[in-house]
Amino acid sequence: MNRTKASRLLQQLIFVGPSTLFFALIMIIPFLLGLYYSFTNWNGVSSQVQWVGLDNFITIFTNDTKFRDAFWFTTRFTVLGVLLTNVLGFFLAYLLTKPLKTRNVLRTLFFMPNVIGGLLLGFIWQFIFVKSFAAIGDLTNLAFFNLPWLGTKGTAFWAIVIVFVWQTAGYLMVIYISSLNNVPKDILEAAEIDGASRGQILRSIIIPLVMPAVTVCLFLAISWSFKMFDLNLSLTKGGPFGSTESVAMNIYYEAFTNNRLGLGTAKAVIFFVVVAIITSLQVRFTKRKEVEA
Amino acid sequence: MKKKYGTLALVMVLALSALLAGCGGSKESGGTAGSGGEGTKTLKIFQFKVEIAEALNQMKAEYEKEHPGIKLDIQTVGGGSDYASALKAKFASGDEPDLFNVSGYRDLDTWFEKVEDLSDQPWVDDVVDVAKEPMTKDGKLYGQPMAIEGYGIIYNKNLFQQAGITELPTTLSELEAAARQLQEAGITPFVNGYQENWILANHLLNIGFAHQEDPDGFVKSLNEGKGTIKGNGVMDEWINLFDLTMKYGQKNPLTTDYNTEITTFATGEAAMTQNGNWTQVQIDGINPELNIGLLPMPINDNAEQNDKLPVGVPNNWVVNKNSGMKDEAKEFLNWLVTSETGKKYITEDFKFIPAFKSIEANSELLGDLGTDVMKYSQDGKALSWEFNKFPDGGMNEFGSIMQGYVAGNVNKDQLFEALDQAWADLKAK
Repeated sequence: MNRTKASRLLQQLIFVGPSTLFFALIMIIPFLLGLYYSFTNWNGVSSQVQWVGLDNFITIFTNDTKFRDAFWFTTRFTVLGVLLTNVLGFFLAYLLTKPLKTRNVLRTLFFMPNVIGGLLLGFIWQFIFVKSFAAIGDLTNLAFFNLPWLGTKGTAFWAIVIVFVWQTAGYLMVIYISSLNNVPKDILEAAEIDGASRGQILRSIIIPLVMPAVTVCLFLAISWSFKMFDLNLSLTKGGPFGSTESVAMNIYYEAFTNNRLGLGTAKAVIFFVVVAIITSLQVRFTKRKEVEA
Repeated sequence: MKKKYGTLALVMVLALSALLAGCGGSKESGGTAGSGGEGTKTLKIFQFKVEIAEALNQMKAEYEKEHPGIKLDIQTVGGGSDYASALKAKFASGDEPDLFNVSGYRDLDTWFEKVEDLSDQPWVDDVVDVAKEPMTKDGKLYGQPMAIEGYGIIYNKNLFQQAGITELPTTLSELEAAARQLQEAGITPFVNGYQENWILANHLLNIGFAHQEDPDGFVKSLNEGKGTIKGNGVMDEWINLFDLTMKYGQKNPLTTDYNTEITTFATGEAAMTQNGNWTQVQIDGINPELNIGLLPMPINDNAEQNDKLPVGVPNNWVVNKNSGMKDEAKEFLNWLVTSETGKKYITEDFKFIPAFKSIEANSELLGDLGTDVMKYSQDGKALSWEFNKFPDGGMNEFGSIMQGYVAGNVNKDQLFEALDQAWADLKAK
């Protein structure tokens, strides 16, 4: 009895020990340090770190319109980003599980943007929006291409949404494909024999059966769009006139450019709490919708 | 059972030692490099100017040949990357460089407790006056200026000629007349890179500050909450220059970044652009034949007051106070500005305008823009760079606000109010 217990302990230690150690080193300890700095006025360089209690949080809630704007921007972006990426991802997956000849090529094509890093993507799309669109606009005179895409508040917002959806829909598509392939064929056939229409099959059989994938995809899309930074940095840098500054970017600027690391980490703590609450609510909600075939 | 625990302990020890070896390894090598008396020492340099990275590497070979036992480890982070953040990360990780870059005033305050007093160095007396002030605190000098740079309105001489402009504009009305003349000749007068915060909030905004009767006092009054930008006479004049560049500028200035700005100008698609002598290299790369010069940025019709270029020091070398290699670092800085090899690199390879009286600039290599900056600076027709005194983060914040003005979202009064508000928020610590 004791022997098996010891062996189990050893096994756990060997398999989980190293990862726990590194998780603690690069996630838990920095997190706790960050928590500590959020109560100080450290500037990121000085050796003097002064405890200021809740001052940073008070400043954020009473006197920081930029942070509020950034939160509002991120919220709008997240709602649209999550909806569009999931709808598009599911739609693509649904199409590409049909017996098409070009199926594999198309799957690769749609997944490809995800392989390129967000930073690079941002620069590529910046070029497309600024140069290519203008060139097409000159040739065709279509109003859509003549818009100053990154130059106004509204269009810059949509520019980021478009690139984000284009980048992440492919990844979600792969998850949906694997889930769609797991829908039992016999149920589908039975439904077909019973005379169910395509729409009915999709609504009453396929969607309930892929709910586990929806849970995962929603979770991923929410956390990605909330934490988006690289795309934001390379595509608009928060501009024009600060209208597309995401929360992550606001935190970065506060901590490293404004030299107020304490205030920046306080924002990060608030941000962490908000994202944690939203994602756990979402997971609980969609988990309830999952069914077994 | 005992045996099992033995194995367990062994595994733990192995894992730990592997980890410790991994962590300790870098520290150890750093330690020997810093303090080791025998063998070679490594001087760690962390610098910001991407343009000179290649030339620095060539210089490194020569320096190491002249100084047996010293090795230079030069790292460059700059250009599009965020030097300040990278430097903070270096310090936070314990891998502190021996020599690094700090720009004057505010930046010196931030890094003050890390930098060594260099007042006793032999080169101090040769530093030109304008380059001393930003790095001076309580009468002590904390940095060696890298170079002198200046900016203004870069203009295309051929296009000016084509439009029939014979007299160079020195006042605001003359500038407007020239712009109108260019426009009538079918040439775009200005290309504005207003997507870049530094072009707006550092260089352009600085003009309004530098023309104040007492620029330093003006900054102080803003910091103390006594003065405001709104209602300031000079700023009211300055806005006319801002308006002028937009009225005669290309479309979509907010999506024009630095690269696009310079490319548009260098290919002759626009006659003027606001930038500095550092663009020479890039312009030469696109169109070496381009005939260009620098104009001052006038804010009113007083020719004498306006015929000045803002001249300053972009960055300074500083020695890390806590480094074990302070003497070697100082020796390197001394060598850089006193030895023939060092001087040659500054003028010929880095193509800098030297910040030292003892070093003669090479006007042939400096190019048109550098020569103009030098001429203005030697004639004493220089404006100061006040933007290094702006609060931390001011560049981004003010830049965003000014972009709002470019887009037409706010009017002049709202612009000034927003700048005042942002200043008050940022200076509050």
